[in-house]
Amino acid sequence: MEKFLNMTVLIFQGAGVTLEIFFITLILALPIGALAALGRLSKIKPLSLLMEFYVWIMRGTPLMLQLLFVYFALPVVGLRLPDIAAALLAFTLNYAAYFAEIFRAGLQAIPRGQFEASKVLGLSHWHTMKRIVFPQVLRIVLPPISNETINLVKDTSLIYILAMNDLLRVARTIVQREFDMTPFLIAAIFYLAMTAVLTWAFKKLEAHYGKYDA
Amino acid sequence: MANTMLELTGIHKSFGENQVLRGIDLIVDKGEVVAILGPSGSGKSTMLRCINHLETIDKGDIKIKNQTLAENGIYVDEKKQREVLSATGMVFQQFNLFPHMTVIENLIEAPIYVKKISRDEAIKTAESLLEKVGLSEVRDRYPARLSGGQQQRVAIARALAMMPDILLFDEPTSALDPELTGEVLKTMRELAAEHMTMIVVTHEMAFAREAASRVIFMAGGVIVEENNPKDFFNNPKEERTKLFLRNML
Ligand SMILES: Nc1ncnc2c1ncn2[C@@H]1O[C@H](COP(=O)(O)OP(=O)(O)OP(=O)(O)O)[C@@H](O)[C@H]1O
Ligand SMILES: [Mg+2]
Repeated sequence: MEKFLNMTVLIFQGAGVTLEIFFITLILALPIGALAALGRLSKIKPLSLLMEFYVWIMRGTPLMLQLLFVYFALPVVGLRLPDIAAALLAFTLNYAAYFAEIFRAGLQAIPRGQFEASKVLGLSHWHTMKRIVFPQVLRIVLPPISNETINLVKDTSLIYILAMNDLLRVARTIVQREFDMTPFLIAAIFYLAMTAVLTWAFKKLEAHYGKYDA
Repeated sequence: MANTMLELTGIHKSFGENQVLRGIDLIVDKGEVVAILGPSGSGKSTMLRCINHLETIDKGDIKIKNQTLAENGIYVDEKKQREVLSATGMVFQQFNLFPHMTVIENLIEAPIYVKKISRDEAIKTAESLLEKVGLSEVRDRYPARLSGGQQQRVAIARALAMMPDILLFDEPTSALDPELTGEVLKTMRELAAEHMTMIVVTHEMAFAREAASRVIFMAGGVIVEENNPKDFFNNPKEERTKLFLRNML
């Protein structure tokens, strides 16, 4: 029993790293993704092309490769980041690209009539975006954002390859040392709990922002 | 003239190669109800949308309440545009209500944020407008919960909440089931009876005949013929008008 408790404590420390990567990535990638979506839809052609290129690269190559690139290739050209920063850079750039595509689709789903009605009423462009467009976009993007967020929980385990002591690595270390599979079970329960909480939270949000549906 | 609400002079508008408006001249006086008829693609919507700068003209002058919006195809600055356009309101074929706001929220958004009216006052005005269009009971519902006819009447009330001097309608009943057009036309007739200045693009011949003070027939991007409703329908002069009316009736 004591052994089990010790294991759990160690694994929770690993979970701390996992949670840190998860939350910081989410907090950075959402606004960056939103800005990238606006850039992608911008009338400034070079900006729009640049954003399209960025999204193409990020979605067209494996996240694992991007992690390895930031971690091993950047130091070669003299850019050495602390472990956690390197991981966060790769995760944020990758997830921001996925979020950008989601936001772009959400923005493009807003009928032109909404913009025209706003203009005819004299609402400013900024006010229209904030009060008319954004709440409707939010309603559209919540389900796909929810999906990506749950993917992110599981993708955090990729930092395993960077020799950082995240949840999964701690679990494996104990398994190897003790010849006991329990840590894997604890890790699984942790991931499940996290995705369950997120699923619940997004359901609440979707219900809140979807209350105007027929 | 003090009573002139709208003055269009030599309006030209192309979409790429497609010349949609080829010189439109139109003067609308205060209290007039102008019905605009014409075949599909004749430029009716485009003309209406040029009036409130939803489309940008290539050539011509636009004056609203004797204030210049554009001269020789050149628009006044943004701030001035807002000021001039605040005299106009528009009702769309597809209603374009804000789906995430309740009916009352739809009505008070612009008065509060654009006209800077207090929330209480905006709500009071909105409630009386809802009563006027016979929809007090849907005050707190979301648009998706309303019938098309109810949505369009809310859209009319929303436009009226900004107290426009001239109201533009682009086929306000075309998206409605036939049994729902009546309630919207009734609201529009009431506005006409109160001498609201209105420009109405429509396929509703009965409305043009009975509620309009003037009927305009457009084809190929020009005004082909205009007259009072009685003479327009009984004695059309142009061949194209006769052909159009024969097909409509
Ligand atoms: N945004 C646009 N871009 C390109 N062409 C357009 C655009 N809007 C309208 N047109 C073209 O302009 C012409 C006139 O269109 P408009 O909508 O003004 O006609 P309308 O008289 O309102 O017809 P309807 O009775 O079908 O509504 C059509 O040939 C149409 O295809
Ligand atoms: Mg039209």
